Amino acid sequence: MKHLELLEHTDTVNELLARYGVKFGIYKNNVFNEQLFPFDAIPRIIEKDEFSYLEKGLKQRVLALNIFLKDIYSKKQIVRDGVVPEDFIFASSGYMVECEGVSPVKDVYSHISGIDLVKGKDENWYILEDNLRVPSGASYPMIARDLCRRSSPGTFTDLKIEDNRNYAQLLRRTFDNVNVGGHTVILTPGRYNAAYFEHSYLAEQTGAHLVNGSELIVKDDKLYFITADGKYERVGAVYRRISDEYLDPMNFNPESLIGIPHIYDVFRKGNVALLNAPGNGVADDKGIYYFVPKMIKYYLNEEPILSNAPTYLPFYEDDYKYVIDHFDDLVLKDVAEAGGYGVVFGNSMTKEQKKNFLALLEKEPRRFIAQEVIDFQDIDILEGGEMLPRKADLRAFVLMADEPLVWKSGLTRFSRNPDSFIVNSSQGGGFKDTWVLYQ
Amino acid sequence: MRKLHFTYEMQIEYSIDVARCNFTIKCCPQNTARQRLEDVNVQLFPATTYCTGVDGLQNKQIYGVNELPHKIFRFQTDGTAYTGLCDYEEIVNEDYAMIFRHPHGLNQAGVGIMDFYEKHKPDSGLSVYEKAQYFMHLLHAKFSYQPCTTDVDTTAEDAFVQGHGVCQDYAHIFISLMHLSNIPARYVTGLIVGEGASHAWVEVLCDDKWYGFDPTNEKMVVDEHIKIGVGRDAKDCMINRGIMHGGGLHTQIIKVNVKDCL
Repeated sequence: MKHLELLEHTDTVNELLARYGVKFGIYKNNVFNEQLFPFDAIPRIIEKDEFSYLEKGLKQRVLALNIFLKDIYSKKQIVRDGVVPEDFIFASSGYMVECEGVSPVKDVYSHISGIDLVKGKDENWYILEDNLRVPSGASYPMIARDLCRRSSPGTFTDLKIEDNRNYAQLLRRTFDNVNVGGHTVILTPGRYNAAYFEHSYLAEQTGAHLVNGSELIVKDDKLYFITADGKYERVGAVYRRISDEYLDPMNFNPESLIGIPHIYDVFRKGNVALLNAPGNGVADDKGIYYFVPKMIKYYLNEEPILSNAPTYLPFYEDDYKYVIDHFDDLVLKDVAEAGGYGVVFGNSMTKEQKKNFLALLEKEPRRFIAQEVIDFQDIDILEGGEMLPRKADLRAFVLMADEPLVWKSGLTRFSRNPDSFIVNSSQGGGFKDTWVLYQ
Repeated sequence: MRKLHFTYEMQIEYSIDVARCNFTIKCCPQNTARQRLEDVNVQLFPATTYCTGVDGLQNKQIYGVNELPHKIFRFQTDGTAYTGLCDYEEIVNEDYAMIFRHPHGLNQAGVGIMDFYEKHKPDSGLSVYEKAQYFMHLLHAKFSYQPCTTDVDTTAEDAFVQGHGVCQDYAHIFISLMHLSNIPARYVTGLIVGEGASHAWVEVLCDDKWYGFDPTNEKMVVDEHIKIGVGRDAKDCMINRGIMHGGGLHTQIIKVNVKDCL
């Protein structure tokens, strides 16, 4: 294997990553800790044919999710036709009434989608989660590839790998598609955000201005960037890396200090593009996930190419019974939680915990989903000179520009704990580059 | 039909200068099947240019930034309203009952309201309209009007348990009782004949028609009410929202006067 040569450079690459500030910030008990995001040099390799199958499936899924968002915030046909129950929309914390009747530029809601998949031991790919709010992670394999090529140029001389350093061009194309005239800016909450490295790196790579809330201002239904000498320059697109509730204190959470007052009013008038559009949370929570294959059939009249992990909704009586009967074989997830929190395995609970959980489930069946535990494939990681198998997932990035684009790479996250299926970086995991072959 | 003249005035006085303030005001009554507006004036002090638009629930809003240092901020509107043109509002396009059928924010029931509902479940033979009237009478008997015992953030449940509050609380509790009966209901801000402050009541969807119920006064909305905005709860249609830089301590005075045109 040619890439073995690269492995000898693991430490160099990690040192370079540290020097470039590739870090991940985590708040725990109100203390901010920055930690390095450990890179493992053994790549995930995806063959050309396999990736083109994924690509088709991902485009189909994201197209359907976009139509769903438009439908929910306008006619609600899918609810009226009984495909998705009202409860999963209007009682969801992701639904934002402020977004009713508002049309984002060119009707794009999810410009940048991060879709999490795993490959099962049965060789099938399964979708685990859709992230349509502010998915992060693309910058890590981007910079890792760059640094790997610098540290070990020999590795890349005759491997047929798609170059993933084009992510910035794809992103730029996505910005330009919706920019209504003026600058494109990347709005960051600041350096204490978990993904600050990514914000600054993507700004540098796409040529967008990196700004915080105090550098933007709304005047007469338009958004302006305040230059260093105090001039106002029009902004046409904002790739905002702040969550919906903090984006605009006049329309959302009034206590936000990092947002821009009235920015949503400007958006509502069509005078600026926001990437991604506010309100997307209604389409990517764990409850709605269950309905995505149904959405694909409903809106596109196609069979879903990629499958969900088998999922049960205790909200439905049959599913509720199934969950009770097969409790120990299932993983249970709280629909409102993210980042690997609120996930419990049926077989890992004590009797007492199980009893409490079942009581909660009976009381609030809508709050949980249950899934078959997918036995996903291990990928080797290098630890102390040894190759050890670990669980890993893949976050694929789908960009909605003038057409849907799938980035030919992705963030492969692995769990460092041999017994864990939870790969989230907020839970201390590491990452790998994803090599997509073109031949 | 009744011809009413209304004035609404809100004044905020600050102890020190406000250097800059953002404001969004949702205090623009609109024409509906039930009411028609005429000669409406809006004034802001200090005089400021502002933008107009609608929010997600089609409430009209005026908003902007005031960059002149000021110690007094005043919003004033007046006009003529022809009310009682119809008993209800038809459900119109882009107006979906489902948004108003689910618990949200301040209108969510807790154990107190749920127990009360269980004990007083309406006869299943009643129409939606009759159920709403039944709960309006029950609530009016159970809950008492007492200002300054609740605030803008008080939930339906907290107000209900303490047993008294203002029109906002009556409205929230009434909405949560409607939701428990699986009936769409929405919060309404507006003005009512007389002198005082702004008012709040509830619209209930009965056979695709929104009827106004005023649980605070235990009466149907006919021609004394001038409707301003709607929401799932009070937060969705707050009349005034702002962010100030500076200002120190402030006091807010609201004066409303609605009377028959002679």
